[in-house]
Amino acid sequence: MIRFENVDKWFGPMQALAGVSGEVGRGEVKVLVGPSGSGKSTLIRTVTRLETIQGGRVLVDGTDVGSRGVDINRLRQRVGFVFQAYNLFPHLSAIGNITLGLTKLRGMNKAEARERGLAELARVGLAEKADEMPGRLSGGQRQRVAIARSLAMDPQVMLFDEPTSALDPEMVGEVLAAMKQLAASGMTMICVTHEMGFAREVADEIWFMEGGAVLERGKPAELTGTSAHSRLQAFLASTRHGGSAA
Amino acid sequence: MGYVFDLRGVLSGQYLDWFVIGVATTLALTCVAWCLAMVMGIILTLIRMIPLPPLGWFVALYVEYHRNVPLLVQILIWYFGVPSLLPRPARQWINAHHGEFLLAAIALGLASAAYIAEDIRSGIRSIPKAQYEAARSIGFGYLGAMGYVVLPQAMRIAIPPLINQTLLLFKNTSLAMAIGVGELTYRTREVESYTFKTFEAFAVATVIYLLISFGIMALGSYSDRRLKLETR
Amino acid sequence: MLEILENNWLLFLVGQYPHGPIGGLTMTLFMAATALALCFPFAIALALARLSPYRWLRLPATAIVHTVRGLPLIMFIFWTYFVSPLVIGRAVGGVETLVIALVVYEAAYLSEIIRAGIEGLPAGQVEAAKSLGLRYWPTTFKVVLPQALHNMLPSMVSQFVSTIKETSLGYVISAHEVTFAASQVNNVLLTQPFEVYGILALTYFVLCFALTSLARFIERRTSSGRGGAPGVIVAA
Repeated sequence: MIRFENVDKWFGPMQALAGVSGEVGRGEVKVLVGPSGSGKSTLIRTVTRLETIQGGRVLVDGTDVGSRGVDINRLRQRVGFVFQAYNLFPHLSAIGNITLGLTKLRGMNKAEARERGLAELARVGLAEKADEMPGRLSGGQRQRVAIARSLAMDPQVMLFDEPTSALDPEMVGEVLAAMKQLAASGMTMICVTHEMGFAREVADEIWFMEGGAVLERGKPAELTGTSAHSRLQAFLASTRHGGSAA
Repeated sequence: MGYVFDLRGVLSGQYLDWFVIGVATTLALTCVAWCLAMVMGIILTLIRMIPLPPLGWFVALYVEYHRNVPLLVQILIWYFGVPSLLPRPARQWINAHHGEFLLAAIALGLASAAYIAEDIRSGIRSIPKAQYEAARSIGFGYLGAMGYVVLPQAMRIAIPPLINQTLLLFKNTSLAMAIGVGELTYRTREVESYTFKTFEAFAVATVIYLLISFGIMALGSYSDRRLKLETR
Repeated sequence: MLEILENNWLLFLVGQYPHGPIGGLTMTLFMAATALALCFPFAIALALARLSPYRWLRLPATAIVHTVRGLPLIMFIFWTYFVSPLVIGRAVGGVETLVIALVVYEAAYLSEIIRAGIEGLPAGQVEAAKSLGLRYWPTTFKVVLPQALHNMLPSMVSQFVSTIKETSLGYVISAHEVTFAASQVNNVLLTQPFEVYGILALTYFVLCFALTSLARFIERRTSSGRGGAPGVIVAA
């Protein structure tokens, strides 16, 4: 579904990604972890060309994201992106955020779009907040609306860039619940997160990144105990003892 | 001081007419200039959005010229300078069709456009890049992202400064008296020179200016309160 | 155009001096600087009054500022023209009228800048001063104002630029500044108004652009420094 082939990226003199390779198959859930500055956010941003790369290739469903002639807007409709800062459109209501894409990009009429929007909001448990403005919603609610907004476009893949890092602790649970539900339904997902509990429960594989490279890959079950993944262990230990979210 | 304050003398018959014409001319000048200013301001904003450096320089030069040269001097250039560059028939047409009003309106409109363009630009810049990214991530192209997400928010932010510009434009119409446009200040001086009742005449004009100015300022605070959006 | 400049540069620069009063660009700058300097105490007084907890101070000050903001400058100039001879007791020339009008006008606008500067200071500053036992006036003059004024320096330079542009209204009351000088040149030459006023525009442009660039430079340097109030450039 998504394939990284030797991806390189520099921000000026600093190398953010160094020869990153990997694959995410259909229906799989991969979780990227690592210290801040490790390149994990940069990596998933390359999938929809929110960041451009200087070396290697990023393929989405066989299409090279960086090639000329790629309809990037079409592609972005097929790949959902959920930001750390939610980025809801403050001038539109919750359902307005969702129906914008449906009416302007998918050509749905208002009634159809609203119906679909309500369905997506119901899926994340917020149907009754449809006409609220984002300013009146809590952080957790906003993020769930953001997830619904991406889902409404019928994506084949969902990317999550630290979706819970900006939330107060009591709201993290509701967002993770929505994400778990999504994973269970068979959605292909790549998540950048610090929530190791979530990762253990849901991930098919965890990628540990540092300094722009994927240092270790492992199934969650392998996380406990083995010395083969020592760098990852050290990182996990530091976060488990109350290390700050990056 | 032994001076009798006599408002009636100034507000009667012919003089009242002059005041009324003065107010009407001031308002007409404000409206015409404002329309020109908004259109030009939007055009400048659109030109700025085209990623060609020479166009960017043009807009920057336009803005800097209108901000650094006094408005009165701009009016003098339009009234005295520009017609001398035009062919005779054009000059005659201008003179026959309320030349001074037209030229003053053009000068005022183009000057305000510079500030309006800057206000809109500030509005756009204050929208976090993340909003643009979020719109593009759903699949909107550049135009869609700007048109449906960035600009609607930018305009809300730009409205209070734009109302302030309107206030400034209104006050600046008084400069047109220097080239003989019969707006309120000009008419006030006429009344004053005919009646010799300086205080009364200027008092009337002052009250009129203040009433309209306060009206615009009130509109400004009202819109400031109503348009606030919580971000994120 | 160059020719006109060559022949008349002295007039643009100093007006009719020595065959008349000093005018031209010299007078423009002199009037702007004088007006701004003289209005300073009034501007500070107005700003403090607007921030005062006493209604009898705050309301009149607010009324004054709003009234000045609501009237065109030219109306002020005419008011000054007619009122000053009565108050001072003698005829008042164009230059003096203009300066007096500008003092009143600028005091109101400058007071708004100073008020923004004061309000932009972190509350901790006043709290710290109070904790040391400083009372109102020493706090204001030694702690609040120095910082507020430093933070608002770019805005004040901006206001100076506005004042320079406002002196051009001397043309209407025959005050001897550079716009009036240009009109005199034009009245002599008659056939090249565009060039004459073009030179005038260029003069203002160079002067004001240089000062505005200075303001932006100061803003860049101070905003990374003390971490005070955000730069509020007052459009003029």
